[in-house]
Amino acid sequence: MSTNAIEVTGLTKIYNNHFKAVDNVSFAVREGEFYGFLGPNGAGKSTTMRVLATLLTPTAGTITIAGYALGKQDDQIRRAIGFAMQGVTLDDMASAWENLMLIGTLYGLPKAEAKQRGSELLQLLNLEKVADSWVKNYSGGMKRRLDLAAVLMHHPRILFLDEPTEGLDPAARRVIWDYLRQLNARGTTMFLTTHFMQEADELCGRISIIDHGKIIVTDSPASLKAKVGGSLDDAFIHYTGHGIRDEDINLKAADPYVRS
Amino acid sequence: MSELRKIGYLFVRGFKQCIRPYAALMPEFVMPLFFFIVNSAAFQRAVQIPGFENTTYLQFYAPVALLTAIFISSGSTGIEVVTDISTGYMDRLFLAPIKRWYIVLAKLAAVGLKSALLTGLMMVLFLFFGASFEGGALGVVTVLLFAFVFAMGWAGVGLSLAFFTKNPRLVQSAFIFFFPFSFITTSQLPLNLLDGWYKTAVQLNPVTYILEGMRSVLLTGQLGATVGIGLLVALAFAVVTLSVSTYAFRKSVVRK
Repeated sequence: MSTNAIEVTGLTKIYNNHFKAVDNVSFAVREGEFYGFLGPNGAGKSTTMRVLATLLTPTAGTITIAGYALGKQDDQIRRAIGFAMQGVTLDDMASAWENLMLIGTLYGLPKAEAKQRGSELLQLLNLEKVADSWVKNYSGGMKRRLDLAAVLMHHPRILFLDEPTEGLDPAARRVIWDYLRQLNARGTTMFLTTHFMQEADELCGRISIIDHGKIIVTDSPASLKAKVGGSLDDAFIHYTGHGIRDEDINLKAADPYVRS
Repeated sequence: MSELRKIGYLFVRGFKQCIRPYAALMPEFVMPLFFFIVNSAAFQRAVQIPGFENTTYLQFYAPVALLTAIFISSGSTGIEVVTDISTGYMDRLFLAPIKRWYIVLAKLAAVGLKSALLTGLMMVLFLFFGASFEGGALGVVTVLLFAFVFAMGWAGVGLSLAFFTKNPRLVQSAFIFFFPFSFITTSQLPLNLLDGWYKTAVQLNPVTYILEGMRSVLLTGQLGATVGIGLLVALAFAVVTLSVSTYAFRKSVVRK
């Protein structure tokens, strides 16, 4: 078994035969590492994550997740990973409990274990009092916490986090950060994308900055800051420029279901 | 067993999605009931036209109202699925280590069950309005089977649009297909009283045979050729629409 949780070699993703969202990217994430994957809007972060999470097919490249080959052992990869996607992906006309039980079952947890795990997560994320209420009545922070609970139901070894605290107030953000730190301390490998540089600075041991589909730099937050003599915000701007990016470089590419 | 449990949970989720919010079920009751009450009253003397079989218009129209219930109760499937796609919930399901066709199969079975339950409930309600159904328990089961199969077939139309377009408004517009499929049938008059292009259109509409099958079992209680043909057409309709939706699912939704 590799000591790398994620190994990516020459990953390329081209949408619609012309828009190259990710261009020959290679990197590795060690087991138990908290790895940040930063970049401006449209840089290729979410596409990379969706490829690694088996939701998109790469155009080229070799990828190994948790020791399993992407494209050949996708079910094993799905069992090994959790993916907190951008935005909340829950059934909001169902209760928290119903959401968790369904997800637990789909990941093959026996009924008793799913119930135990569900109760544990609801308690841990302070949602047990609203467990039977429909999710549509929850606040943004509650939804985000429940989304995280759903992602964690099957004890994933690797967690992909796509802007996990977007839209949350500082207190709710802290709760999520603390929990992510705890998970990481227990050995869960973290792959984080975020636009909050403070979040990346607080959580990540190593950061890659991607722009125009290519990784520009990889280093620790402290080294990145030292290199530019400023904050991580400064480092980010230093490597990616001041210009505001259009996310709609290719609107079709933003559609995760678009045919390639 | 574990795989069956997964499909079972998806089925339960799909069923709950079909019936929530509960208030949204109201039109599914009201519309068929409205058609049943209004049309059976408005056309009650139509049965005096030579060529009508020995029945009341209420009895003649009851299966049309049941068919309307099936159309309406299964018609929202596309919207439900496109909502799952646009909210990212479909991705959440795709991330699970399951066969992706489980998701579609479970949803369709849930829609079929919902329509069968609604049809059964409608039949009970119609009894209070003076309808009577021949055929006993077997007749009722046959009608529920019609509802289950045709609901899945009709859901396939919405599903196909949902998978191809992923656009709620376009999927909603699939409701327009309800009108030709539902009205250009023997819904108002028996086939022998129709004529010209309209009669030809009615004969080309597969729903005509489904309606006639349901009508036959409800009016005569006999499980004859008309019922068999009706069930076969319902099944064929489902096979066609579900093949298209499966193609759309694989082509447009599953990862690319």
